[in-house]
Amino acid sequence: MDKSEYKKIIKSKKPKEDEFKNIIISFFVGGLCGIFGQALTDIFNKCFHFSINDSYMLTMVSLVLIGSVLTGLGFFDKVVSFCKCGLIVPTTGFAHAMTSAAMDTRNEGLVKGIGANIFKLTGSIILYGIVVAFFVSLIKVIIG
Amino acid sequence: MKNIKFNNVYINNYFTLVSSKANNPTILNDVDLSIEDYFLNKKTFEEGEVEYQTLVTRGLLDKEHKKLEDIDLMIGGDLQNQLFASNYNASKYEVPFLGVFSACASFIEGIIIGASLIGRNKLRNALVVTSSNNLVSEKQFRFPVEYGALRKKVNSFSASGAVSAIISNKKSNIMVESANIGKVIDMGHTDTNDMGACMAPAVAETLYDHLKSTGRNINYYDVILTGDLGIYGVEYLKEYLNKKYKIKSNRIIDAGVMLYNATKDSDFAGGSGPICAPLILFTKIIKKYKKILVLGSGSLHSCMSSNLKKSMIGVSHAVSLEVID
Repeated sequence: MDKSEYKKIIKSKKPKEDEFKNIIISFFVGGLCGIFGQALTDIFNKCFHFSINDSYMLTMVSLVLIGSVLTGLGFFDKVVSFCKCGLIVPTTGFAHAMTSAAMDTRNEGLVKGIGANIFKLTGSIILYGIVVAFFVSLIKVIIG
Repeated sequence: MKNIKFNNVYINNYFTLVSSKANNPTILNDVDLSIEDYFLNKKTFEEGEVEYQTLVTRGLLDKEHKKLEDIDLMIGGDLQNQLFASNYNASKYEVPFLGVFSACASFIEGIIIGASLIGRNKLRNALVVTSSNNLVSEKQFRFPVEYGALRKKVNSFSASGAVSAIISNKKSNIMVESANIGKVIDMGHTDTNDMGACMAPAVAETLYDHLKSTGRNINYYDVILTGDLGIYGVEYLKEYLNKKYKIKSNRIIDAGVMLYNATKDSDFAGGSGPICAPLILFTKIIKKYKKILVLGSGSLHSCMSSNLKKSMIGVSHAVSLEVID
């Protein structure tokens, strides 16, 4: 039996994931997350009189903080496995990935454990975020 | 491939431990010890797994009324990097030790090596031990434990616990009849979620080699126990056997599926880990069947091999057991 024939066997027997259900759940959970973020921004902006740019930044920081604390308390993983990408794509997912990696390696020491591993999952987001930001700024400078 | 025939090699006794009740293992009432603890008073679950092995090693010695100096050889295997659990467990006793790695077929490999040495009268006995810890496997092979990564239906759930067995030439009711050492099979499969798919061809090839080298029909065996193919892996195996070798059998049981009673409605395909096959073998199979073929199945991928985009390779070793009244 060659490899392509075996691939056909796997394809015919492999279970279908319930993608439609996952998309619907993610859509609504992600949307709720967005509404919550918007509410936070409005609160910072209207009630505490921060500028709108500062409010966006504070919202981001608050969501990361909430995500990290929930991960630390140990039940965010269960929520995530139900909510799928609804909580992974927003910035809460960034916080969650960072905190869970740190928790996993805390017994391996502060430097070789947490220090080296905290950005294990999120390092690429930071790196390529900066790279993309650089090129976008470059384009802006060139165009004017 | 050559069949290794053993004379007068027996499994004298065994000790089984399940250390997590997550997903309701079906054998909680049949094991020697069942606990709910990933750490066993240690700071990390990596060290917890070492303690699992210590529990089953000491437990087996007590059960068999043997002292450490009576043991000629210890063989250990697990999934942690460079056999962390087995090596550190072995460091607690002054007993000659061999570490073996065939991923989830390590226990079967241990039995084959032990039986070969005993059968040639080189040793009196050998103690084979293996373990796995769900959290260790999650951290090492998948995502951080608290991350709760999204899982697919083909994903398996790593079982937690440990198993030890002592084999010798002293007669008992489980005879190690013969064995076949498997080849490493590469079918170009790359999805690390679906480990059953990389192990199924290896199991099929070893099964075929065994039947061919012994001249037996598949129905010679009352049951064929595979390690941890999962519910879909068994389907791939049956289809592969049927298409390539025209072998059909409804006596194939998968230990991983049986351990968690996995069905197609479950969120996962079954249990995985080197303890699946021996756990089910010692708690369920030997009580029910006489002629047993155990096919340990191991996926030999690592984080490095998957980062390098290498295909997943599998191996499977077969041991034929006979339960004597």
